[in-house]
Amino acid sequence: MAFIKKTTSPTINDGQHTPEVRDCQTLLTQLSSTDASERRTAARELVGCPDCANGLMERLKIETEISVREVILTTLTRLGDPVSIAGMVECLRSEDAALRNEVVEAMKLLPQEVAPMMLGLLADEDPDVRIFTVNVLESLCHPDVEAWLIQVISNDDHVNVCATAVDLLGEVGSVDAIGPLEQLKARFVNEPYIQFAANLALSRINEN
Amino acid sequence: MKTNKAKITISEEDFNKFREYFYRKTGINFEASKRYFVDKRLIERIEATDSGDFRSYFIMMRFQVSGAELQLLTNLMTVNETYFLREDYQFECMVNSILPELVKRKTDNSPIRIWCIPSSSGEEPYTVAMYLMERWPGIHQWDVEIISSDIDTGILNKARIGRYSARSVMHVPAPWLLKYFKQVGDEYQLCQDVREAVEFTRVNLAEPADTRSYKNFDLIFCRNLLIYFDDLSRKTAAEVFFDALNPGGFVCLGHAESMSRISSLYKVRKFPQAIVYQKSLESR
Repeated sequence: MAFIKKTTSPTINDGQHTPEVRDCQTLLTQLSSTDASERRTAARELVGCPDCANGLMERLKIETEISVREVILTTLTRLGDPVSIAGMVECLRSEDAALRNEVVEAMKLLPQEVAPMMLGLLADEDPDVRIFTVNVLESLCHPDVEAWLIQVISNDDHVNVCATAVDLLGEVGSVDAIGPLEQLKARFVNEPYIQFAANLALSRINEN
Repeated sequence: MKTNKAKITISEEDFNKFREYFYRKTGINFEASKRYFVDKRLIERIEATDSGDFRSYFIMMRFQVSGAELQLLTNLMTVNETYFLREDYQFECMVNSILPELVKRKTDNSPIRIWCIPSSSGEEPYTVAMYLMERWPGIHQWDVEIISSDIDTGILNKARIGRYSARSVMHVPAPWLLKYFKQVGDEYQLCQDVREAVEFTRVNLAEPADTRSYKNFDLIFCRNLLIYFDDLSRKTAAEVFFDALNPGGFVCLGHAESMSRISSLYKVRKFPQAIVYQKSLESR
């Protein structure tokens, strides 16, 4: 037995030839293959098809294999176009908790693209969507994160939404948040968790 | 971009334009702190191609049918710093833990396939080959195929030649140095047997058509590459490796890198010598 120099995969590209680029319609069809590996490959290669976001979103809604979902979301994130972002936002309303969490993680990677939608999402009529949006803000590298969180604790009437936002303000808040945190405590005077979390955030801000 | 015959400069707008394009094509992201590094190489290529200014150069590079200028620039922009037996605890892990587990599971005589990426100048894949010959008795029973890939075609050619500085071989045990290298002046020439053990290929991990055919690997070494990528490119690479691996296959990352922070697709395996990442046996 020994080393094999000649590759056993004759299709491996040697760098001298341009690999075949598959057409978008074939890839969209392949997204429904019974083989998960084929579906992952199609989802990955669809990054070269600018109009494929709808097809990826349709598959994402019914896809049960986690590894395929992860690749679909990576491709949607790489595309980062309005259709992909709108599709991700739609998934925040899904009953599938795992999918929601995966989408929250994906949206965190798109600060510039999701930023214009943040105000709308933070005013959504569904408090769960508002909470998931605050979850997105947790790791969103955007200069307006603190301002958005201040807006939430200043205006949102739902205690759980405010509680999620105030937790995060304890990490990212500056002196700008001190006044709104005091007002939040006054608004939810009978909510022990809000009192506790706001006091904690205030002490952290004051320490800094 | 301001330009005159005496001095070519890269404006911030040029830098951002280039960095965005280069990221899309290669997955490599340059922070603002790398500005000097990038500007210096861009100016070098603008001068070498007589483009005159950034704009003309950028248009030429973007729309060149052969893609040769982008490849050349990629070669200049990538860092190729490594040496033989770097982070050797992982090679100990390979011969003492990973390969014994892999061969125990094998039900046929197909070769064990190992993928090293990035190849850089070849020190890592050649270390794998030498380790297998020196430290793994199984090499007498099993065929092994080592494929090593890099985005930089220049460095691949250097790897194929196998000529190294004294610094590159400083951790090679003296008996191995005698056995596998020949001193040529200040340098060391790797012997043909080891060089022939490795197949070198050009791959861009950010390009799905490039990686499509990389399948059926049992072990992947991808060390100190992902630290140069942003989160999204790391995820893309992790997903490429997932499809490149056989069920139960392993990925070794650099000591500062953690798959757990990149993707949920892998299981963490703690071996006595190293922590590595495994595609589960049940994966489809």
